[in-house]
Amino acid sequence: MYRHLFKLIWNKRKQNSLLMSEILVSFLVIFAVFTLLVYNYQNYRKPMGVDYENVWVINYDGDIGIKDNDSINIFYETLRRNIKSMPEVKEVVFSSNNIPFAPVTMQNGFDYNNKHISHVNSYTVEDSYKDVLNLKMAEGRWFNKTDAVTRYQPVIINRSLKEVMFGREGAVGKVYGEGADHNKKQVIGVVEDIKFKGDYAEAGYAHFVRADTASFRWLSRMMIKVTSGADATFEGRLYKLLAGQMKNSNIEIEHLANKRKNINYFALVPMIVLSIVSCFLIINVALGLFGVLWYNISRRRGEIGLRRAIGATGKSVSSQLVMEAMILTTFSLIIGTFFAIQFPLLNVFNLSAGIYLTALGLSVLFIYLLVMVCAFYPGKQAAAIYPAVALHEE
Amino acid sequence: MIRLQNIEKVYRTDTIETLALNSISLDVEKGEFLSIMGPSGCGKSTLLNIMGLLDAPSKGDVRIDDQTTQHLSDKQLANFRNQKLGFIFQSYHLINDLQVLDNVELPLLYRNTTAKQRKLLASEALAKVGLTNRIKHFPTQLSGGQRQRVAIARAIVGRPEIILADEPTGNLDSAMGNEIMEILMQLNKEDGTTIVMVTHDENMANKTHRLVRLFDGAQVQ
Repeated sequence: MYRHLFKLIWNKRKQNSLLMSEILVSFLVIFAVFTLLVYNYQNYRKPMGVDYENVWVINYDGDIGIKDNDSINIFYETLRRNIKSMPEVKEVVFSSNNIPFAPVTMQNGFDYNNKHISHVNSYTVEDSYKDVLNLKMAEGRWFNKTDAVTRYQPVIINRSLKEVMFGREGAVGKVYGEGADHNKKQVIGVVEDIKFKGDYAEAGYAHFVRADTASFRWLSRMMIKVTSGADATFEGRLYKLLAGQMKNSNIEIEHLANKRKNINYFALVPMIVLSIVSCFLIINVALGLFGVLWYNISRRRGEIGLRRAIGATGKSVSSQLVMEAMILTTFSLIIGTFFAIQFPLLNVFNLSAGIYLTALGLSVLFIYLLVMVCAFYPGKQAAAIYPAVALHEE
Repeated sequence: MIRLQNIEKVYRTDTIETLALNSISLDVEKGEFLSIMGPSGCGKSTLLNIMGLLDAPSKGDVRIDDQTTQHLSDKQLANFRNQKLGFIFQSYHLINDLQVLDNVELPLLYRNTTAKQRKLLASEALAKVGLTNRIKHFPTQLSGGQRQRVAIARAIVGRPEIILADEPTGNLDSAMGNEIMEILMQLNKEDGTTIVMVTHDENMANKTHRLVRLFDGAQVQ
């Protein structure tokens, strides 16, 4: 029967080409949507890597009107002491602007073992950064005072960067970079991946460098870990303290949990928009498929009547029509898969092959289901055609 | 071979009830060539459809080969039609998207036959109707007479015991019509196939063993 159906489809290839093109275009759009959804879902399933609850962010203007480095250090150390003296504050840390969930990125790239590694996020942080955000070490240790004077610049990298640089080998003690020793970097620890850009973004590559005494000149973010009882009254007192000490600075206090919500919202909006657009497209395609199949049945009533007369049951007529639609779909999907498979092969958008392959599988399944659903009712109607009536009409 | 007892067929709509067949009783013997005649709308095709199990009577019993067909399921009816009956229609009912050979093979698709067997049987059937040289053609590339011969080949490919022909020469000129009639008579004579033919043509009807006339749904001869 399959051979017969292939012949029938091949002989009607011109009529079928429109339907096949429609299925092909739908498949490619669905593939794009599923790729985005799978990418986001895979990222969502991974642990966040930071504890954002009860962490407040203080944005301030780095220029406090003091020029001398020592005086700047004294100013910020005094500020840190004053903040830490508040009973609601557990820990304080100064950091570069690219704190978690901030729309700020600082990236660089370097060569290691003849391999260029790009898009490495660089974070300048203090020793208490790990405690404020409750980071998990995978290997080695976090910064401490002993890192102030070292031969190489101590760095901590995240697991993703470790895997791309050193594979399964241990990373601690490894040195990379070019030039004089003080320009080279030595890995002292590996931290578990942190999703800095929210739940739906991948962790990417990250390395952390220790803030030194000169860093206060340009650092403009503070994060404080507060007790769970810290409320608006405390926020008011904190603001007063900061405003009192940083007279020339614009101060803004945000909650890291809210920043996470905001950044997630920006990731969700395109996903929702694309899903709505694709829903409309799917409805259009479904109606189109349904219409074409329905039209085919009306046009083929004589053939259906004949098949019933020569020995086909209603069920076999119905399955034949569904099978024809499925074979056409298979042809379209073969062509579509050829295009889709180029994405992992050419490493388009730098996504892992697994994401593309999962999206491909889901898209194929979805299109088959869609076609089956659209073909089912017209097929059922065809089965109900009374042979004597259909043959008489012809 | 075919026994119809008190067959009645009523078509009902919301407002009208039409009696298409009124108490028809008819026996068709094995190997008989029977023709049915009558004016348009007298119920000839309806009667043929009932004999061919394409339509169910409103009343009465249809027995084929001593088997009652009243309570057969859709699957059993389909199987019965496939094994025992061959159909020829006035408008041929060929599938234009399939080549002649594939059209002839169609009834065998609903049986457990291999592709090789199907091809062999279809080629034999086409040889019988003299169309061996047209197997790769599409129906649209054939004349009316040739198309009807393909339809006959399709009807006989499964070697049915009964052929039901609904005005097989209705769309053909007299020469072509005679050719088709010759083939049918040959099938009846040489293979012993029982044939029931609906026709408007008195000359064609006179060539058959027996003639049944219908008028307003009733048998008048």
